Amino acid sequence: MELLIKNGSVYDPSNGIKGDKTDISIKDGKIVEKVSSNASVIDAGGRLVMPGGVDAHSHIAGAKVNMGRIMRPEDTRAGIKPRTKITRPCTGYTVPNVYAMGYRYAQMGYTTVFEAAQAIMKARHTHEELEEIPIIDKGALTLFGSNWPTMDFVREKNMDKLAAYVAWGLLASRGFGIKCVNPGGGEMWGFGKNVTGLDDVVPNFDVTPKDIIVSLMKVNEMLGLPHSVHLHCNNLGKPGNYKTTLASMELAKQVKPSKDRQVLHVTHVTFNCWGGTNWGDFESKADEIANYLNNSENITTDMGQLIFGSATTMTADGPVQYANAKLLHAKWANGDVELEDASGVVPIFYAKQVSIHAIMWAMGLELALLTKDPYKVLLTTDHPNGGPFVNYPEVIALLMSNKKRQEEIKTLHEAVHKRTKIPGIERELDFNDIAIMTRAGHAKVLGLLDTKGHLGVGADADIAIYDIKPDQIDPSVEHAKIKSAFQSAAYTIKGGEVVVKDGQITATPMGRTYWVDASVPDEHTEIMMKDIRMKFKNYYSINLANYMVQDEYLTHPKVVRAGVIPAEVS
Amino acid sequence: MQTVTLKPIKEIKISVEAENISPDKFAGKTEKDIQSLEAWMGNQKTTLGELFSVKAEGSGAAADTKIVMDGNFSRIKRIGEGMTAGLIIIKGNVDMHLGAKMSGGKISVTGNVDSWAGREMKGGELIIEGNAGYYLGAGYRGETCGMRGGKITVLGNALDFLGEHMCGGEIIVKGNAGILPGLSNNGGKIVIEGNTSRPGSEMSKGTIIINGLVDEMMPVFKAEGTEAVDGVTYRKYTGDVIVNGKGVLYLK
Amino acid sequence: MAVITDALCPFCGCVCDDLTIVTENNKITEVKHACKLGAAKIMGHHRIKAPMMRKDKHSEFKEVSYEEAINEAARILSNSKRPLLYGWASAVCEVHKKGILLAEELGAIIDNTATVCHAPSTLAVHEKGLPSATLGQIKNRADVIVFWGSNPVHAHPRHMGRYSVFAKGLFSEKGRKGRKVIVLDVRKTETANMADEFVQLEQGSDYLVVSALRAILSGHADVVPESVGGVSKDALLKLVDTLKTGKFVGIFFGMGLTQSKSRYKNIDNAISLVTELNAFTKCVITPMRGHYNVTGFGNVCAWETGFATAVDFSRGAPYYNPGETAANDVLIRKETDAAMIIAGDAGAHFPADSVRHLARIPIIQIDPYWNATTEVANVVIPVAICGVEVEGTAYRMDGVSLRMRKMIEPTHPPDTEILEKITERVKVLRGE
Repeated sequence: MELLIKNGSVYDPSNGIKGDKTDISIKDGKIVEKVSSNASVIDAGGRLVMPGGVDAHSHIAGAKVNMGRIMRPEDTRAGIKPRTKITRPCTGYTVPNVYAMGYRYAQMGYTTVFEAAQAIMKARHTHEELEEIPIIDKGALTLFGSNWPTMDFVREKNMDKLAAYVAWGLLASRGFGIKCVNPGGGEMWGFGKNVTGLDDVVPNFDVTPKDIIVSLMKVNEMLGLPHSVHLHCNNLGKPGNYKTTLASMELAKQVKPSKDRQVLHVTHVTFNCWGGTNWGDFESKADEIANYLNNSENITTDMGQLIFGSATTMTADGPVQYANAKLLHAKWANGDVELEDASGVVPIFYAKQVSIHAIMWAMGLELALLTKDPYKVLLTTDHPNGGPFVNYPEVIALLMSNKKRQEEIKTLHEAVHKRTKIPGIERELDFNDIAIMTRAGHAKVLGLLDTKGHLGVGADADIAIYDIKPDQIDPSVEHAKIKSAFQSAAYTIKGGEVVVKDGQITATPMGRTYWVDASVPDEHTEIMMKDIRMKFKNYYSINLANYMVQDEYLTHPKVVRAGVIPAEVS
Repeated sequence: MQTVTLKPIKEIKISVEAENISPDKFAGKTEKDIQSLEAWMGNQKTTLGELFSVKAEGSGAAADTKIVMDGNFSRIKRIGEGMTAGLIIIKGNVDMHLGAKMSGGKISVTGNVDSWAGREMKGGELIIEGNAGYYLGAGYRGETCGMRGGKITVLGNALDFLGEHMCGGEIIVKGNAGILPGLSNNGGKIVIEGNTSRPGSEMSKGTIIINGLVDEMMPVFKAEGTEAVDGVTYRKYTGDVIVNGKGVLYLK
Repeated sequence: MAVITDALCPFCGCVCDDLTIVTENNKITEVKHACKLGAAKIMGHHRIKAPMMRKDKHSEFKEVSYEEAINEAARILSNSKRPLLYGWASAVCEVHKKGILLAEELGAIIDNTATVCHAPSTLAVHEKGLPSATLGQIKNRADVIVFWGSNPVHAHPRHMGRYSVFAKGLFSEKGRKGRKVIVLDVRKTETANMADEFVQLEQGSDYLVVSALRAILSGHADVVPESVGGVSKDALLKLVDTLKTGKFVGIFFGMGLTQSKSRYKNIDNAISLVTELNAFTKCVITPMRGHYNVTGFGNVCAWETGFATAVDFSRGAPYYNPGETAANDVLIRKETDAAMIIAGDAGAHFPADSVRHLARIPIIQIDPYWNATTEVANVVIPVAICGVEVEGTAYRMDGVSLRMRKMIEPTHPPDTEILEKITERVKVLRGE
């Protein structure tokens, strides 16, 4: 199969291409130097061409997401579309069914998406859903921040055992990297409590969140994992939490990266750049976070942009979800996982005239616009916490047009003027910035820049063509056109196959599931497994033999090798 | 003024989804247009003309459209769904979701209606001369609001969960009501002339007046002495105390 | 002789995963560690030997080929205007996926056995969510265990030993001695006999009692009368105190709560009680699910359609409204004109009116076992036993997904194969 994309206005940041008219040759699912004259041709006609979108943080599969569906039939009915000859029925807005997940991402030109949290014990469920999400490539980050073995090995200061546990946990969950949510808090939520800062001691385990974060960063780099530690900070959802976020970022200085990427990714900053001491003096401190990012290396973030309207909050941060449910008088699902972590699901409606929501809307934008390097701030909505991913085009338009922002600000609660900096920020991002924040940056942060997020030779042929001619549009003024073009790709090409044309799904191949196989010395694994076997004998409610995700749940696996022992690169 | 008369032409066993039976959908259409409007019987797509004789006279906007339905419509669902104006007169029984999401106009039924009549209703009027099923004026599963506005009157009885999650509007039942009327009432007014049981659980706002007997009273109301409403003296209760409710329950 | 360790039990929602199975010549000769109910299921009974059909429901079955039975099943289903695909709880998730695809293809209603046990719990979850935890969380931490309208001694025999009453863990090393066990029920069950406290409720008064507990918990004991649902106010006050002062409270509820007066509103109310208790202590609530994979169907159906069960595909897109789209809703109204009953016994468990209608319409049964549904079936297609002869995924009552093992080689084709063939045949009949 050969394909040639001609006359595209190409934005490929990691190869330094900014709107050049470049042809792209595709053979057998990969980008190649050139193709034969037999290749089929797509004439982009000067339209915008980018690498397929990559999303490093979204909640697309697993126990939390499905609980969101089960508890929200009112959301499911909000996005109903019957089956067609090639597509299964679609449902839902904030919690779409598996088919809608794949189709809607592809329709926006996205081709790779990572689920941001799975507990090892529930990973089989995550993979059952990933197996049914069509088109896109995917993977899942595994929770390690409140696991009993993690805390035991951190307390023992035994990084070999911790590294062996992380490697084994990634294998057990077929996970891609280390997710750390409110470290220590998940354990404390087991008795309805929480940590309040980085130096709190987790009862019975005698470790602090700081110990956990630093240790996980150390073993992440010992193992040379493609992605860094992916941190959901302590105190999320509490006014004044920006200080905890800054203090967590400061910890990154203690560890050197093993690869050309960050050592710490701090996620959905909209929820943890909060100033003030209560809801009355609540204000944005996104500028402080941006300032920190501008003066540091080795830390990346994502926006977690708020979208007005319906959202479903879902996170492994159990205590914050209980607090939300109480505050909002909303229905509440809680999903503690023995020995591992917590979780919760709560619906929310973000309203323009609610001061807190208006301020939060500004936070993600401030972060993105005040941070100089777009590689340090990825575009996300922390789907579906800040809002559903289908709203990324809205966020793109807001970032590219100050006019649009000012129009929007007029409709918001006045607090947006006093408690945020957004009204005075004039910066407008360009297509290159957007290509970084929606593809190249994500791929770099995930450690997948060899094959994802760019259009150089050897990359996967995942490509989006949008119905905009970059040299003939002023995004600042024509922001509505920008939004509609990014909502509905002219073409989405996945692995060399046209999967979307004119916004319509044309093919539904199955994507691959990325996971990381990290090697450690056998003796480390053996000594670690003694502890693990003891935990299964005494504490887990299932047997060790039934714990690990079997091969049957990854019919299209893509293994990325890493580890203490250098292994051949696959 | 437009008048459209529908009569069943065959016995219908499998219920039909006929949200197209609405003044908004009929307004300005010819008899033939109306006959070809879509309806679903189970998994089969059909038309109103396949199921009913259609007689249309005159022409007009939705507000000037009157639909007269004469016969047994006990397997026809979603009549008048989302209607904004006009009039539907039904001489017979109807199936579920009558007048769901309607925001204006009027529907009157001489017979019985099945469950979810007036679901998520925003305005307009629903008059049911027979009995109503479950979830009269309630919401869809998982939603926080049921009926938000308008008025429903039932001359007969209503089954369980009437007015669940009401956020506004008024429901009057002349007969008896099933259990848990006004559950999670958040601002609606409910009047039950007959008997019922367990009224007003989790109500945070709104008013429930019961003129008949209450079989079982929820243990969540504060007694506030007596009060006269329209010249009738009631025992007054406020609650539900669990949700710090400001709802008022009047019992005879 | 072969020995399979760490085998999973395909009986109840506990899905015990510590069984040892001994086989000889492809026969199971011994089941170790299982309860009597589980062992009986695994040892097998009343298998249907071969596919069977009959002209009408009064005549005798005649053995036919699989192909013949599958073609007839496809013919019946594709001619149906209101087909129902019901059952699923005794099959693995891989079967559910095929079933949902067939339902889409047919424009059918698909519903599962929860409709006659815990579907009301799902309706409550729509209203209030579900503050829950995995069973191991409860085993390691709970010092107060409540069984409300559930009787594990009878229905989930190993629950108390593995997960709740007797289980020992990191913060519960004393097991039973460190726990207070409370049973609320309308009668003194076997479980109540071994509880520390038994609170006897009047039939159908659960909702009132939950509300009284909530009123007391919210500081409004003054509005609660001297007795609610047959329980004295003193006993209610004491119960609230016990719940509030526990370190970790685990509440398990069963059909005593889901199927009594006020039905799902009982669960709705109980979930609120649990949520409100979390202001004082840690408290979680878990439904005691019956069939081993009834939870799995709810999960598969939710991720594929957005809705947990009772999905009506008649207009091509999923529509969900129990009370309108559940199996018994359409059967009692006599709307269903053909049904496929698979991995669940509608004939034995449905209300009489529904069964009477099933006896009037063409029925396809897909099941390893001869049961009450066979008596009303027109086409019977025997299959391998999921979780014994076929491996696959099941979800425990707390939503933990597990892989069921194959213990012996099947003597019949698996459900997935039959469903695939029916779906293919339906497509052919519809000219697709």
